[in-house]
Amino acid sequence: MTQPTSPAIRTLRRAWIPAALLALIAVPLLSANLYYQNMLIMTFLLAIGASGWNIMGGYAGYISLGNSAFIGLGGYTTGILAAKWNLSPFIGCLAGGLVCALAAALLSLATRRTRGMYFVIVTFAALQLLEIVTTAWSGLTGGSEGLAMPVPNWNLDYQDWPFYYPLLALMVAVIAVSWWVRRSKLGLGLFAIRDDEDKAAGLGLRTALYKMIAFVLGGTFLGIAGGIYAYYISFLNSAAVFDVVTSMLIVLCALLGGRGTLWGPVLGAFIIAPISNFTSTNLGGADAGPIRLLLFGALLGGVALFLPRGVLPAIAARLARSAPGADQSDAAESASTYAAEPVAASTASAVATAGSGDVFVATGLGKSFGGLRAVDGVDLSLGGGRVTGLIGPNGSGKTTLFNLIDGTVPTREGTIALAGRRLERAGRPGRAHAGLARTYQLPRLFPSLTVLENIVAGERGFSFARLWNHRVSASEHERASAVLDELGLAAYADASPADLSYGQRKLVELAQVLWFDPAVVMLDEPAAGISPALSARLAAMVRALPPRGTAVLLVEHDFAFVSSLCQDVYVMAQGGVIARGTVAEISADPAVVDAYLGDTVASQTTGSNA
Amino acid sequence: MTELIQALIFGALIGGVYALMSTGLTLAFGVMKVVNMAQGAFLIASSYFCYALWQHFGIDPILAAFIVMVPMAGLGLVCYKLVIARLERIDPGLTIVATFALALVTESLLALTWGPNEVGTTPSYFNQAFHFSSLVIPRAQLYAFLLAAVVTGALHLVVKRTWLGHAIIAASQNPEGARLVGIEPSRVGARVFALAAGSTAFGGAALSFLYQFTPDTQDAWLGITLSVVILGGLGSMPGAFAAGLLLGVSESLTTTYLSVRWSAAVPTVLILIVLTVRPQGLLTRATRQDAAS
Repeated sequence: MTQPTSPAIRTLRRAWIPAALLALIAVPLLSANLYYQNMLIMTFLLAIGASGWNIMGGYAGYISLGNSAFIGLGGYTTGILAAKWNLSPFIGCLAGGLVCALAAALLSLATRRTRGMYFVIVTFAALQLLEIVTTAWSGLTGGSEGLAMPVPNWNLDYQDWPFYYPLLALMVAVIAVSWWVRRSKLGLGLFAIRDDEDKAAGLGLRTALYKMIAFVLGGTFLGIAGGIYAYYISFLNSAAVFDVVTSMLIVLCALLGGRGTLWGPVLGAFIIAPISNFTSTNLGGADAGPIRLLLFGALLGGVALFLPRGVLPAIAARLARSAPGADQSDAAESASTYAAEPVAASTASAVATAGSGDVFVATGLGKSFGGLRAVDGVDLSLGGGRVTGLIGPNGSGKTTLFNLIDGTVPTREGTIALAGRRLERAGRPGRAHAGLARTYQLPRLFPSLTVLENIVAGERGFSFARLWNHRVSASEHERASAVLDELGLAAYADASPADLSYGQRKLVELAQVLWFDPAVVMLDEPAAGISPALSARLAAMVRALPPRGTAVLLVEHDFAFVSSLCQDVYVMAQGGVIARGTVAEISADPAVVDAYLGDTVASQTTGSNA
Repeated sequence: MTELIQALIFGALIGGVYALMSTGLTLAFGVMKVVNMAQGAFLIASSYFCYALWQHFGIDPILAAFIVMVPMAGLGLVCYKLVIARLERIDPGLTIVATFALALVTESLLALTWGPNEVGTTPSYFNQAFHFSSLVIPRAQLYAFLLAAVVTGALHLVVKRTWLGHAIIAASQNPEGARLVGIEPSRVGARVFALAAGSTAFGGAALSFLYQFTPDTQDAWLGITLSVVILGGLGSMPGAFAAGLLLGVSESLTTTYLSVRWSAAVPTVLILIVLTVRPQGLLTRATRQDAAS
């Protein structure tokens, strides 16, 4: 989501940030008005909540409706430590953050096997559970009586400074961390998860860990803030601190300002907190609560329905539209696609020398969907440095076999081994790390990332240290640029893959999986539906693999394409392998001709090969 | 021993009612994969409508449910047309946020109309019981349970046996294919939502004479209905009924042997455990969609 910004806006932004920060620092020094200090304290709290929420909800796309639980959990942790053990507020607040980090890590476990809407339910349930537990566990928390915080004893001249400045500092810290996450490998992975989580896992990203880190980061900051907030309100009441309405305000701030942007959640907080403050001081009587609820409920619904991307992205879109010359690049760049000459094709047999035994061996793979036996006891071995074709009629089980091999569908029958290492129990990232990669029948790229970022997205291993690196390191940038140059797509490096043609996306996806130098590459109908020129270029890319020792498995209906590339061919029908051999052997096999090829194709290919 | 049997009876009766309260969520979640976070609010709204009919005209809440069904179905229809259909088009991820907003708006309107104090209906069978030796079967709970069996059974037949039911399943499994055979998914969706919200009237009626209620209890009821749907494996009526029983019995056993304060934690604990350990639900087998998504 890196939107191009004009230099003028960038300069303006650079000047505004320190100016705004200085102004916020100056407010309590210049004015003794507690109304504004209190309003700003609530603003900071909401900004911390919304920015923290945004790392998981905006970057990774996992919406939570329970983030106010962290305010309560942090608050109660701090409060209990202070009340029972007389612990210093500083340590207490950090302990609150730690407890919230643990809670967030636990909750994120629920995202290992479930997606989007289930996470919403999990967070909502966790919020309710915490309220019930704090009420029921009265020995620890004071139950429904509430928990009074020790009164801090500082000079009254300081007013609310001891809450104001720590929360301001915490807000700055959350923004800084958000900024840092956005430009790191972690952020790249989170945006990839939001776009296409399965695909990200297939590229070797440990998606469960990415999500856990994202949720923990947001939860920790809010937990620390919750501790400070507990001292600020000086009395904890379980129904109030675990109120779902606070969660709703956090989500509202993030959505209103712009989910997934850096400044959106902060902007949202600076809009919502004053409104909230105004209504709570100016509305009175029995109906004040419901009217506030109506106002914010309607605002949240209105934003979701009519401004789903938020204020900042809407403004950015308007600026981009009015900026002159925004789309002049298009015409110039699309020409390059056709200018590129297909790489000279060598014959398949000429390069079939680098192989050395079977790199990949699968035995007895099977999968049933209800009564349908989609894949039935398939044995498959791929030689290093060889291109193996997999053909068969539609519905014969080729794609399910791919899904079994790469782990999209859990392998419950049979074994898989890559270079002697057993992989049938490994998850998708684990198989990718071992050296298994695939492309899809319809290319799947991450639209939130640039074309160049898409190329470097894959990982051959996980390390925490690597997550904090810049999205694209200088050396990666250089290498990826070279790759794009070779593909004739250099001009698109910073564009979104959505701007590419279908065929170009297929090329980029192939470059993406080749990026992490896999030992086995599986290609699902790479030549389907693309122009002859791009098809030839793709064939050249595939031919370049065997000399490096890579094993290639190619599903394709274009038999001419298969016979020009493949040394071995497997033929599948009705879930099983019905034939295996060289192109010539296959085309002469009556069973294959009968099940798939048909007379004409078979006679043509045998004729040309002979 | 009597204590255990009594706890099981209470639990099973209330469990049936939980299933009844969840019908709307079960339908919408099961066939359309839409989580309606306003289910609790719709439920409480139904209870208030039954309460109004009881208070002003003395209509028995179970009978009142057949009247309340109509405005509730209308509410479901409007909610689908204005909120769900639009968001499914522009950003399906926000549907859950928007229905949550709808829940808060509904809650606030109920509070502005009826105030924050606890109310309930008191028909003749309220606070009455059948006695079998030392066992007690409260009449209100029993009638609510029977109502639950009838309503969930009827909805199950609608989904499994009628053209609308087949259209619902077709539209949810393959919208493009449904369109090709003349089923317009958005119109089916509108009917599902009308049916779902309409059926909530019965859950609301049962709630009105079994519990004292206020507008702000809607999120607790949402938690219970979500728990039923998730335990039951997302969407089948028999699954939801079994899940309701399981939830009711677990709560009742917790109340009997631990403490009534902790029984409130049962639904949410079950949600967290099931979604972490066995997300396809306790009472279903994994299907192709689970594996592929």
